[in-house]
Amino acid sequence: MAEAEEAGGANPVNEPLDLVRLSLNEVVFVKLRGDRELKGRLHAYDSHCNLVLGEVEETVYVVDEEEDNDEDNVRTVKKQSEMLFVRGDSVVLISPQQ
Amino acid sequence: MSFFGFDTSLPRDKPGQSSQQQSMFQQHDPFGGLRREDAGNGETLDFEDTYDGLGLKLDESGDTFNDDTFGGEEPVTRQEVGKDFDFAGQTARVRDDLLEEQVLHHARQPMQYAQPARPKKTGYEAYKEPEYIPKLEADASIWGKLSSSKKPAEPQARPDSSARKMMSVEEVEAMMRSQTKPTPPVENVDRQSQGLRDMLGVGTPSPAVAPLEQTRPPVQILQRPQQQQQAQQQPPPQQPMPEQNTRAPQILQRQHSPQQRPQSQDFHGQPPYPTQQQQPLQMPMGAPPVQPPQGHRGPMQPVSHNRGPSYNGPPITQAQQMMNMSTDEREAYLAEEAKRAKRNHKIYLLSKNNGLMTPQDKNFITRIQLQQLLTATGGVDNEPGSEEQLAEDFYYQVYAQIRGPPRSGPGQPLNQFAQTYLFQTGSRYGFGRNRGQLRGGDNHVQRMEQQVARAVEAAKARPKNKSLVVEGSLGKIAFSNSKTPRPLLNLKRADSESRVRPPRHTTVADRKAALRDIEHLYSTLMKLEDHERHMPRPPQEDSPPDEIERHIRWRSEMQALNQQLWEATKVMEPIQPAPTQPHPFISILSHPKGKKAIPRLFRHLEEQQRLTMLTLIVIHLDSLDVVRDAYPPADNTPLPGKVKDEVELFSQAVMPPLFSYVNETTLGILVGMLGLVIDRVHVQTILRTKVGVSILTMLISRAELVSQSLPSGAIVGSSGADDDKQQWSNLYSRLFDLIEPTLPHIFPTDTNVSAADDVYVWQFLAAMGVGASPEQQQRLVLGVKERVMETVGVAKSLMAAESMGGARPGGTPGGAPNGVGERKMGEVNLFMRSIGLDVELLG
Amino acid sequence: MLFFSFFKTLVNHEVTVELKNDISIRGTLKSVDQYLNIKLDDITVVDELKYPHLSSVKNVFIRGSVVRYVHLPAAAVDTPLLEDATRREASQASAKAKQG
Repeated sequence: MAEAEEAGGANPVNEPLDLVRLSLNEVVFVKLRGDRELKGRLHAYDSHCNLVLGEVEETVYVVDEEEDNDEDNVRTVKKQSEMLFVRGDSVVLISPQQ
Repeated sequence: MSFFGFDTSLPRDKPGQSSQQQSMFQQHDPFGGLRREDAGNGETLDFEDTYDGLGLKLDESGDTFNDDTFGGEEPVTRQEVGKDFDFAGQTARVRDDLLEEQVLHHARQPMQYAQPARPKKTGYEAYKEPEYIPKLEADASIWGKLSSSKKPAEPQARPDSSARKMMSVEEVEAMMRSQTKPTPPVENVDRQSQGLRDMLGVGTPSPAVAPLEQTRPPVQILQRPQQQQQAQQQPPPQQPMPEQNTRAPQILQRQHSPQQRPQSQDFHGQPPYPTQQQQPLQMPMGAPPVQPPQGHRGPMQPVSHNRGPSYNGPPITQAQQMMNMSTDEREAYLAEEAKRAKRNHKIYLLSKNNGLMTPQDKNFITRIQLQQLLTATGGVDNEPGSEEQLAEDFYYQVYAQIRGPPRSGPGQPLNQFAQTYLFQTGSRYGFGRNRGQLRGGDNHVQRMEQQVARAVEAAKARPKNKSLVVEGSLGKIAFSNSKTPRPLLNLKRADSESRVRPPRHTTVADRKAALRDIEHLYSTLMKLEDHERHMPRPPQEDSPPDEIERHIRWRSEMQALNQQLWEATKVMEPIQPAPTQPHPFISILSHPKGKKAIPRLFRHLEEQQRLTMLTLIVIHLDSLDVVRDAYPPADNTPLPGKVKDEVELFSQAVMPPLFSYVNETTLGILVGMLGLVIDRVHVQTILRTKVGVSILTMLISRAELVSQSLPSGAIVGSSGADDDKQQWSNLYSRLFDLIEPTLPHIFPTDTNVSAADDVYVWQFLAAMGVGASPEQQQRLVLGVKERVMETVGVAKSLMAAESMGGARPGGTPGGAPNGVGERKMGEVNLFMRSIGLDVELLG
Repeated sequence: MLFFSFFKTLVNHEVTVELKNDISIRGTLKSVDQYLNIKLDDITVVDELKYPHLSSVKNVFIRGSVVRYVHLPAAAVDTPLLEDATRREASQASAKAKQG
């Protein structure tokens, strides 16, 4: 029963994505390309980091360039989505959210 | 031999004309003859100097119609060379087509000439050629020019070659146009190749179809003579051509074609296209190949080249040979040629990328494509519901089973799967989704209510019993000494004093450990479920032995998996007397997915395991996240949404299986369980939370129901049932005393009464009321009197508003949906009736 | 193949595809392939004024690689099942990794 031993090994985290697996059905924080962040419950992922998140809040950081002064105003835009598929090639990082 | 009007004096007059010097390299100044006038200055060679006279050796039998074809005997002199040529311009543009044809012809040869010695072509030999890169220079042969790459060999072969100028086509043309103008000064190789490049530069796609048509035939036949030659390479060079087949004359004539002249050495050395690679392979066959014939033909070609344009293109030989044919033959031949050209062109287009991939590559790609096709289409050999398909397409397959399949594959295993997910998960209601459609939870609440109501009814139906119970509880003192509750469970009881409540916040490591436990639990669970699906047919008495054996093996495997699952739940982890961190199972339960796993795994557990799990939950009741975190905040603010979600999920996922189990258990176990609650749990704390109250209700109502259904009257008897009953009534009193102080705070207060979710409290009160003595009933009513009156008032006003606004759709003025008043009244009445009262009596 | 399998269950549902160039297209999911290329019918562009060039288009084929998000109807997603499907896929992937 090698298989049983393996399974009895408390499911060691072998690969980075195994860490993501621990966050299944947990709220995760996802950073994306293009100054976007997501917070939502992870329902699915695959090896390409394609994701399905539920109850998502998206935060987009928009830079408003003001002509008068050189300061750039970073504005955040928040959007909600009840269920969201995220294509993996945009994903920068996935982190568990306490 | 006056064919091209040249001096036919023999070249053997010339001294030092060794066979080496007669090599092909000598013949490559096609326009050398043009410079005869300039010969005096010594810079160029006279044609006479270069002509090796080998042309004499040629079979001249094809000359018969030359005059007809070329317009008479008049020798062509320099002056008569027309100037209406244009090799570098217009013609160069069709060069590509010419090359194409040439290549085509090479490619075609194997088909037309049986050449046994040639190794079988695979199409990939070109890759083995060290210098596979197609050489553009080779194509210059069409123009009768020597490839620049041949230059290095020249000096040895011809000491005087340095004196000769190699000119580009344009240069030659320019020179011929200017006629009297002396040849430009020596041009070096670079210059020449520059000219060639220029030529290539203008090689834009030919707009002229006509030139192509004109030039094609010679190109097509170009290679044939070579083949013949190569077959004839053995005879001594100087020998006249031996007898050939009937085609021989034609072939020889073709050899005179302008394009033929530069000899295929270019091709031999550097195949311009992969399809020509067979040429090098032929080389060894006739080692010093073809030079002599070339020597003969060489000098003639410049002339023919020069004359070419005046005949409106090169197809001299074609025309000539066609002269030999009858009209029918000619037509047939032309048609044949056209067909062939067309086909060759097609083949060429198709074969452009020949050899790009090896057969192995192609096989590999084909396999990948097929594989993708199979998976993309759901598989050809994968039966719907097969393991392969399930593995690849699990979500779709099971989803389709659950939610009205777009296409139905009613496979037995799938149905089991669907059942697993439809019924066992108990969490159809997704997390945080529409809370309106919480059927599982409502179901549970309803069932709880039914049980409480049944307990109430049973109590009413047996007033005597009740009084007996009441008597029994009153006579508590009498029976108190009789027995101490026997320990039903082998759980180590820690001193409740030493028990410290677990720390509220868990560390990241704890959290991660819990998540890991959960995922391991799921893995094991899915393995078990998979195994369950593979159950072989249950063996009959007359089953073959191997079938029985298979079933036995399956069964033992199942048991092993079951054991794994049980271990994965971590329920049996030792309970620490003074825990610094929550019990692993309780940690599992603190995550939503841990809660969701309970109904799924519960059905695989055995009776004893279920009891153990329930016990573990009960003794950790106040450290469950749904109790610990759900304690009402001091400032009476509503609980955070997250906590509410968890509580909701617990009620919907964990409670129903526990409830089902409790619903079938015996009074003894219930008594033991409640004893544990009293001993180990801070009852006042759990009473402030929905989950705590619900679990107490579950246990108490079941205990009441069971104790009332037991035969009474034999109080004095020593049956186990009576023992349990007695213990229960003792326990009830203890519990009542613990609960009483909390009664005023038991209701949720974060919302107003009309919106309050307090049905679970009324259920609890009803369960308590059933077994209460009159004195306890009074205390109970006292504790919750305010809330009763308030709720009844709100319910009545709601009902009044509903009856008033009955015609008005959309509910009551208060905004509450229709029926709320009635429902609230019913909830209160459940409690009232448990203590023998009714809301109607309240006036 | 998890997401291919997943998207197949969403065929004929209304989805909103947000592209990497910020265009959002709402429409009925008609088909999907293993590259997660998407075909939408009866489309409307969410910010039509900003992207008028799509206003006359009725259906689109979207190359999977240009997709940023697909907003889905939550009611059409069976999250416990999806999570289990994810676990299966993950186990398969790691099993394959061990073999290979």
